[in-house]
Amino acid sequence: MNESFNAEPKTYSRLFDRSKMKRRRSSGVNTDRKSPKRESITALIVDNGAYNIKVGLSRDESPSIIPNCIMKAKSERKRLFIGNQINECRDCSGLYFLLPCERGYITKWDVQKPVWDHIFSRNVYPVDEKPVIMTQPLFNFMSIQDCIDEIFFEEYEVPSMFRLNPTDLARLKYTEDQKLPETTPCIIVDSGFSFTHIVPYIKGNKYLRGIRRLNVGGKLLTNHLKDLISYRQYNVMDETYVINQVKEDTCYVVENVIEELKLASKKDNSIVKNYVLPDFNNIRRGYIQDPSDTNQKEKEENCQILRLNNERFVVPEILFHPSDIGMKSMGIAEAVVESILSCPKDFRKDMSKHVILVGGNCKFPGFKERMYAELRSHLPYEWEVNVFLPKDSITYCWEGGASLLKVPNFKTFLVTKSEYEELGSTIIQQRFNTWMTDNSEPENQQEKTEETFCYLDKIKGKSIFGKQELGGNDLKPDDSNIATDSEKSNAMGLDVKAESSEGADQAQETAQSSENDKVKRSVQKNNESSESSFDESSDSFHNELINSVELFPFGTDSYL
Amino acid sequence: MTISKSTLRGSNRIKEIDKRRIVDETSRKRRQRKMMELLESDNYHEDPHADLVMSKKVPKFDDNLEQRSTRTKKKDRGTDYYQFKYRKNFQQLVDEDRVEADLNKRVSYMDIQCQDSSIPSRRFCAVCGFVGQYSCLSCGTRYCCIRCMDTHIDTRCLKWTA
Repeated sequence: MNESFNAEPKTYSRLFDRSKMKRRRSSGVNTDRKSPKRESITALIVDNGAYNIKVGLSRDESPSIIPNCIMKAKSERKRLFIGNQINECRDCSGLYFLLPCERGYITKWDVQKPVWDHIFSRNVYPVDEKPVIMTQPLFNFMSIQDCIDEIFFEEYEVPSMFRLNPTDLARLKYTEDQKLPETTPCIIVDSGFSFTHIVPYIKGNKYLRGIRRLNVGGKLLTNHLKDLISYRQYNVMDETYVINQVKEDTCYVVENVIEELKLASKKDNSIVKNYVLPDFNNIRRGYIQDPSDTNQKEKEENCQILRLNNERFVVPEILFHPSDIGMKSMGIAEAVVESILSCPKDFRKDMSKHVILVGGNCKFPGFKERMYAELRSHLPYEWEVNVFLPKDSITYCWEGGASLLKVPNFKTFLVTKSEYEELGSTIIQQRFNTWMTDNSEPENQQEKTEETFCYLDKIKGKSIFGKQELGGNDLKPDDSNIATDSEKSNAMGLDVKAESSEGADQAQETAQSSENDKVKRSVQKNNESSESSFDESSDSFHNELINSVELFPFGTDSYL
Repeated sequence: MTISKSTLRGSNRIKEIDKRRIVDETSRKRRQRKMMELLESDNYHEDPHADLVMSKKVPKFDDNLEQRSTRTKKKDRGTDYYQFKYRKNFQQLVDEDRVEADLNKRVSYMDIQCQDSSIPSRRFCAVCGFVGQYSCLSCGTRYCCIRCMDTHIDTRCLKWTA
């Protein structure tokens, strides 16, 4: 890790040459797609996870994985270890973690800021002059986004920035790699450090009503394993860092727990493994003991050895059955099924063909097979089920950054510094938040929502409503929804842009989808016409809205 | 009168009965919540540097800060600035988001939480991890055999109830 950073500050031209060579090597079918114009953007891609930040330039093949935390060691009392400085630490026993995130959302800025300062400094990945593409969790809170904006635009002075969800990147990467049309419905399971998200994508956009979150992540699993080992063998409650490695090295997912438990209870079985704990003197990282290797025996004599039996598969089992530790929430496979069934009927069948697993927890051996087995037994017999596990599920989202740069007109999505200064955080955040999202309501729930939002009914019959209908009607059949209409049109504008450009791309590649394109274009036309009429009326509409503030009980002229 | 006498005598049997009180539903739930909080915590031990007073020379990241010379000096804000300006805790953020989402009729953090499972929970022995058929009389924890029951009573039973 260290060496790569020392080698990093190379001159621009040298790196560029290398990427050129790569392009030459990969000549063939792809060359005509990679026009020099598209290739010219190089961006800094940051997948800002709660435990690891995956960061690298878009032309790099793989990112650097840097811990997103500050650590304090018992042995070195005069120093903090920020991010990957932990590699310089000799004795990693009893590491104390300062994590910037709480349940996956950044709340401790006094931790996050130094980590970013470290990563974006001269000797790691300087931010100057390159656009920054950064991931944020789903429904990232406004206050957090405000702070990110302030740090990046005002302090780091990045020229331009774009933020999106990691699953968006995974979707882009998947459709590009598998050479599928952009509109393929798929479902992405992102199981990370703080939580697990299940995100369905319809027509290339994430379907918000189908998203599910399971509050089980790698952190909980590590803590649980720590608790089990401390209760049964050594007290390792202070050794989060080491036990996390134990978890990564030994845990696996089984298809049938009861059968496996029966196996594990027998005297001689292959499940029991001895794990040599690191002493940070001779052994820096623990490993599974090989009973046949006699040379190692002497070395291990003075080491502590963990005997792991059913812990190896009971711990990851929490992902599938949170009820094992008393959580009432449904398991990951059950949630995927639920998510698929909450999507519109037409897409469900295709969705089960593309289940994509990303995030660190998917690296447990057997995870994919278990997922397939569970989905297969839950979903109808006629549906085809495919579970896709990328080569490296941790960096897969980061790799999607390069696919994002290939999206036509991507440059227009980037928010520049001057735009930030002109428009302010609220508007540019809307641009980030509405990209690739589908906020449509399920059909059968419309009546219900009208009842609950009764204050909007007051507006009915007022003069502004008549004007709103001029433009707003086409956008949404639900009349009462005046509050989101302006936002909605904004969102649809962006969506349609994305879709139409995707459509253009497709037309080059496949002639089959031309029919779809026609439909899309006509939709686009509709939207454009509605938008233009909306624009005409928007000035007077705006004035009247401001004059009629009392209609809005919560003082809400901010959404204009 | 009789009660005070019996306590004075210090009957072992009565003491034993006193010990094995049965934990009611609410404290069982409280115990569960406490355990879940522990599973979410970042650290179990105290900050090893808590008693240290950091001198200004110590943190390495300050050195890195100085190398970013291209940036304008006045915008180099300390870390405390952001922590102070955006000092909302997680619960505040969620509450704020919910209000805002209700207004705009959009899906929010709270809406995407998984529902309760329809699959009944499985029972594992809290001591050894194998299938646990029996449950502790006082606290409801699962165990599989007499040996595990003894271990459980000696160690964890009622430990988290206080």
